[in-house]
Amino acid sequence: MRAGLGWRTELGASILAHLDEIDVVEVLAEEFLDANASELRALRFLSMQVPIVIHGTSLGLASTEGVDRRRLDAFARLLDALGRPIWSEHLAFVRAGDVEIGHLAAPPRNDETLDALAHNLDEVRRVIGSLPLVENVATLIDPPCSSYDEAEWLNAVLRATGANLLLDLHNLYANARNFGFDAERCVAAIPRERIGMIHMAGGRVLPGGRILDDHLHAVPEPLYELLGVVADEESIVIIERDGAYPPFGELLDEVRRARAACQPVCSNS
Amino acid sequence: MSAGLQQFLARLYTDDALRARFLAQPYDEARAAGLDDETARALEKIDREGLLLAAESFARKRAAKR
Repeated sequence: MRAGLGWRTELGASILAHLDEIDVVEVLAEEFLDANASELRALRFLSMQVPIVIHGTSLGLASTEGVDRRRLDAFARLLDALGRPIWSEHLAFVRAGDVEIGHLAAPPRNDETLDALAHNLDEVRRVIGSLPLVENVATLIDPPCSSYDEAEWLNAVLRATGANLLLDLHNLYANARNFGFDAERCVAAIPRERIGMIHMAGGRVLPGGRILDDHLHAVPEPLYELLGVVADEESIVIIERDGAYPPFGELLDEVRRARAACQPVCSNS
Repeated sequence: MSAGLQQFLARLYTDDALRARFLAQPYDEARAAGLDDETARALEKIDREGLLLAAESFARKRAAKR
């Protein structure tokens, strides 16, 4: 198993000082889509110190209006410049018409969205030359006009697109808590061989009881149990933290715990 | 389901006035936006608490990007 952290400017120096404990770093694509030559050199230099994977948040793969071609071209340039590393993007729409929603919106989980997703991923593969790992998203609203539950939806996506899954355990956990399904049963329904990467993060409970996936808190305990169910020796696990940064040792402990959660599975496989 | 569903949802998530009108009369507002009868009926059952929470969360994200 390889475990690491999301690259954030605030964490950069600490990550570089602890590369003996960090197997992989995840870089946000949007921070480098308009990168100049020296910024790209810096990113390539980072990739020589530690393996990097690229993570997108703005393509809107589940959009029924298609994927913005200019943005897709920018992704292609970035991935080419880095030697085409593993990359990922969300099962979300982020804009529609002339409206930018501002973040990842869970699409209606229905056949229309599935068709659009398959079409968009065909376009992505044509332009970029590879498929992203596709990430399940957290949502505070039960996606309207849906005909699939979460497990059915993820499996339908994997069947329809050929893409593998970036399984975000906190997104799944939050949705399970928010909408009353069993996270472990959902995880167990996903073919293990289709999980290409795993995200772990923390969130907070809102008044009323729903969980907001804000990446500002420690990874909650149940996620390590879910990780034990799903991880194996091939797994890549990224701890995501987007602010309210604790002492770096606490993030390293989360990386270590992620590795430890895999140990019983790995030693039995 | 209507082709314009995601456009309508994007507006619902970002437009306070539309959202208030929709919550008062979901079917009528969805039809006025051009959505078909089936979609408008489905939207009558929308997760109302979730809609308000999601809209608030998206607004915070947009504000943070400005």
